[in-house]
Amino acid sequence: MSDEDAGKALQKRLLGEYYQSLGDAGRSGQKVAYLFVPGNVVELLRCFDMLPVYPEINALQCGIKKMAGDLILRAENIGYSSDVCGYVKNDIGLMLSDRQSPFGPLPKPDLLVCNYSGCNTFVKWFEALAHFYGAELFVLDIPYLRERGPSTADIEYVVAQLEELADVCARTSGVPFDRERLKRVTSLSYAAEKLWVDVLHAARSRPSPFDAYFEAVFYMAPLNILRGTEGCVEYYRLLLEELVSRQKEGRGPVPEEKFRVVVEGPPPWPHFRSFWELFKRWGVCAVASTYSKVGGLFDQGVFHDPAQPMESIARYAMNSYTNWNLGLRLDLLRQYLREYEADALIIHSVKSCRSFSVGQADFRDVLAKEEGVPTLMVESDLADPRYYSEAQLKNRIDAFFESLAHRRLVGG
Amino acid sequence: MRAWKEEHPSRRAVGAFPVYVPTELIQAAGALPIWLYGGGGSVEISHADSRIQSFVCSISRSTLELGLRGHLDVLDGLVFPSICDVARNLSGVWARNFPRMFVEFLHLPQNRRSPSAVPYTIAEYRRLLAGLERLCGKPVAPEDLRAAIHAHNENREAAWALLDARRRTPWATDAWETYAFLRAGAVLERETHTSLLRQALAAARERGRRPKDKVPVILLGAFCEQPPLDLIRAVEEAGCYILEDDLLLGSRWFRTSIPDGADPLRALAEAYVASSPPSSVSHYRGTPKQDLLPQRCRQLGASGVVFLTAKFCEPALYDQVLYKERLESAQIPYVHIEFEEKMSAVDTVRTQIETFVESVLFE
Amino acid sequence: MRTYVAGADVGSTTAKVVILDGEGDIAGTSLGPTGASIVEAAQRRFQEAVKAAGIDEHEVEFVVGTGYGRFKIPFGHTQVTEISCHARGAHHLFPGTRTIVDIGGQDTKAISVNELGDVADFCMNDKCAAGTGRFLESAALTLGLPLEEIGPVSLRAARPLRITNVCTVFVESEIMSHMMKGETVEDILRGVHNAIAGRSISLLRRVGINPEISFTGGVSRNVGMVRALEDQLGLRVNVSPLSQFIGAIGAALFALERARGGKLVAAPVEGGT
Repeated sequence: MSDEDAGKALQKRLLGEYYQSLGDAGRSGQKVAYLFVPGNVVELLRCFDMLPVYPEINALQCGIKKMAGDLILRAENIGYSSDVCGYVKNDIGLMLSDRQSPFGPLPKPDLLVCNYSGCNTFVKWFEALAHFYGAELFVLDIPYLRERGPSTADIEYVVAQLEELADVCARTSGVPFDRERLKRVTSLSYAAEKLWVDVLHAARSRPSPFDAYFEAVFYMAPLNILRGTEGCVEYYRLLLEELVSRQKEGRGPVPEEKFRVVVEGPPPWPHFRSFWELFKRWGVCAVASTYSKVGGLFDQGVFHDPAQPMESIARYAMNSYTNWNLGLRLDLLRQYLREYEADALIIHSVKSCRSFSVGQADFRDVLAKEEGVPTLMVESDLADPRYYSEAQLKNRIDAFFESLAHRRLVGG
Repeated sequence: MRAWKEEHPSRRAVGAFPVYVPTELIQAAGALPIWLYGGGGSVEISHADSRIQSFVCSISRSTLELGLRGHLDVLDGLVFPSICDVARNLSGVWARNFPRMFVEFLHLPQNRRSPSAVPYTIAEYRRLLAGLERLCGKPVAPEDLRAAIHAHNENREAAWALLDARRRTPWATDAWETYAFLRAGAVLERETHTSLLRQALAAARERGRRPKDKVPVILLGAFCEQPPLDLIRAVEEAGCYILEDDLLLGSRWFRTSIPDGADPLRALAEAYVASSPPSSVSHYRGTPKQDLLPQRCRQLGASGVVFLTAKFCEPALYDQVLYKERLESAQIPYVHIEFEEKMSAVDTVRTQIETFVESVLFE
Repeated sequence: MRTYVAGADVGSTTAKVVILDGEGDIAGTSLGPTGASIVEAAQRRFQEAVKAAGIDEHEVEFVVGTGYGRFKIPFGHTQVTEISCHARGAHHLFPGTRTIVDIGGQDTKAISVNELGDVADFCMNDKCAAGTGRFLESAALTLGLPLEEIGPVSLRAARPLRITNVCTVFVESEIMSHMMKGETVEDILRGVHNAIAGRSISLLRRVGINPEISFTGGVSRNVGMVRALEDQLGLRVNVSPLSQFIGAIGAALFALERARGGKLVAAPVEGGT
């Protein structure tokens, strides 16, 4: 078995086991906590043997498996507006369909942990689930990074709430809080996070051994779902080995890397493949993306720390990409454009997620008009297949790379 | 506004985006707080369109439009509270486009059950206050804060007196009139506004209007973006008495007076955490809002609920589904209207409300 | 033997073909509805244009296709997007052009070009079709006027109305509500044109408004729209009598470049598109 297959096989096995455990939750009696990806506190939940369920990941899987359209309609049938987030409607649709996900049945929540980092809609989402399931809801309030970094008051506030959440978890699961265990779990998180940063940095080489948007979104799945486990660390070890060997052979995701781009915004899950094709045909490789940072800005030096587990969880939670203020986000885009020697910026603006989208036109304004970075902004949605117009997108993407290629030709 | 600036050349004016901004702090710093409620129907959106996508609510677009056109140059600062993703990101857009302005994003606790919520709110208010002190060039003493709280308490009492009178005798004043009186406070000094409200109340008492055969309702959903005045009138003219509403929620924030005692900052923070009114943009502290609504209808004797939600306002649109479910099981009729600041189809709305009124009356 | 090249612009409503000679001068043109079959429409326009030029089909050395139907043009050698073609075409007709506003049936484009006519930046209306040519068509339909007349009628407005909603779905109720209030057709139409001009200018702001400005696309034949844009911009805009052919002219210019032995940048064509 080649390295490449080893990595994929392990990911498949680990995620398979995870979904199996979700299917068995009813029988095993394990308590189930729903939580969000950005700023999640899974390390804490693992200390209480709670099973984490990520509704966002279920929604994106439904998108890829072409189930989202029907599920969204189900939610709209009970009164959800066509203008609200497609992820939420997808999840409500799943609930109305006995939680039959593409990977088997999902358990009901015993506890809803609303770690709302970078998205106010998370609160509305779990308020709705609390309403429909009657499950206990804990809103973990994570302050927005409105200044350069978290203040002491911010950290103290989040840590205090984490302690309160630990009490709730102990009560729900019947497992007492073991702080030594939290240290072990956070050290496993740290090991995987370090390897993931090395993976991301591999895209600095020419050609990049992987697409830091279209492939990274799959590579980041174990970090979001299995963080704090041994399997997760092993997966990133194998992935890094694979990328290093690709790097040595000069292999990348496109036959010839013609354009290196930075991508801002989530992908259109229901049309993931065809969207990727629109770029591939121009020899485009994403070398950095912001979407791969929604689960944490590890590459900016924010890691879990077994020496200060609670405090590091609080810092981590505040440093998810959409919880950064727009100034910080703009600086990060600049950094990526420079660090990864990108030719252009692609902004995929999605209707569902205002948290991502509002302000993107300002990024475009600054970077394209003031700093001369070729920038393309296209619009569709991350969950709702109805907002994807292939002909329109193709037209814009072709025109953009046409003019980039032309400029290169003329400019020599 | 400009006139006020000319009369008080040394004083600052600081804007507040809805819903929960402690304008007491702005006043205590010596500045005039100005509530921003968007551009209404009067401003043509031509600059903001290129900055804010078409799937975003009118108030964010029209407020930015006013700014980009220079209509908000009289403001020295602007405070955005943590109500939704749009307002939050708008604070960043604002900071970039208006670098000379003092722009602050205020993170208000969504976890109001946590014992740490009060200390956190105090820290956050202190941070805002420090910024205001820098802007206004003078430190804020506890007595400044007490005086501002006192003026706000009086203002809120006057507002509530008007609202309570309408609730008891809805025929005496129209909701759109009350609304106009309250809305005027957005650009006035608290004290001036308070006397205006008192005059309005006295005038309403003298009117001697008689009750009509109308349907008493609660109006919900417009806590941030404001519906066109014509729309509020249309709801009334179509046959509703609006007993209670959540219009301009932020300016009449608290039902009870905030103690202006030894630790005024703590009193303000405690008031937010413990007794700020529920809305779609503040996570409930105890019982969910939707569970309280049927009970509230019965208490007030409201026969139904009219939801006016701003188009694209996600928080209100999510809550709508939950409210609707609870009202249906309690068999309380409701009607749901989506509005935009620029709305021409008021006639269609009138027809909808009339149908709703007929269904309630002839049930 | 002289050199001839062609540009074929197959849009959602009309198909246009332009034949250029080796000097870049127009030898023949043809225009007609796209209809149900892109292949047939393109074929027919091509034959007609060739006829108009007084040449044989095989004399055309190189053909570039553009427009939404560009991948289905059977005789095209390669494809270039209409954004690049409009830039090239407008620059050819008006060499001072730095900014282009193109209002078509279902989308509006703002393009900024450099002094060579190469695209520097571009923007299009977002998914919502509000404020495109479609809105004008629906307005004409609601008022029972032929599309060609609404522009001239709008110029006779005494008190232009402010139209708030340029949503294509609600155009009918928007206009009806004004009619019911007794407003004149002239004032309503001027309002409609002003509203669309406003939307287009907002798009132009995204790429930056630098003179000269050229106005292209089917809607540029509407004098009311030209006036509304000029009034709001406070600038004169270039409009060509060939405005509908600008995309095809641009495509033909790309074809000429190629025929002269230059390299051409185009998307690789994959099967079945």
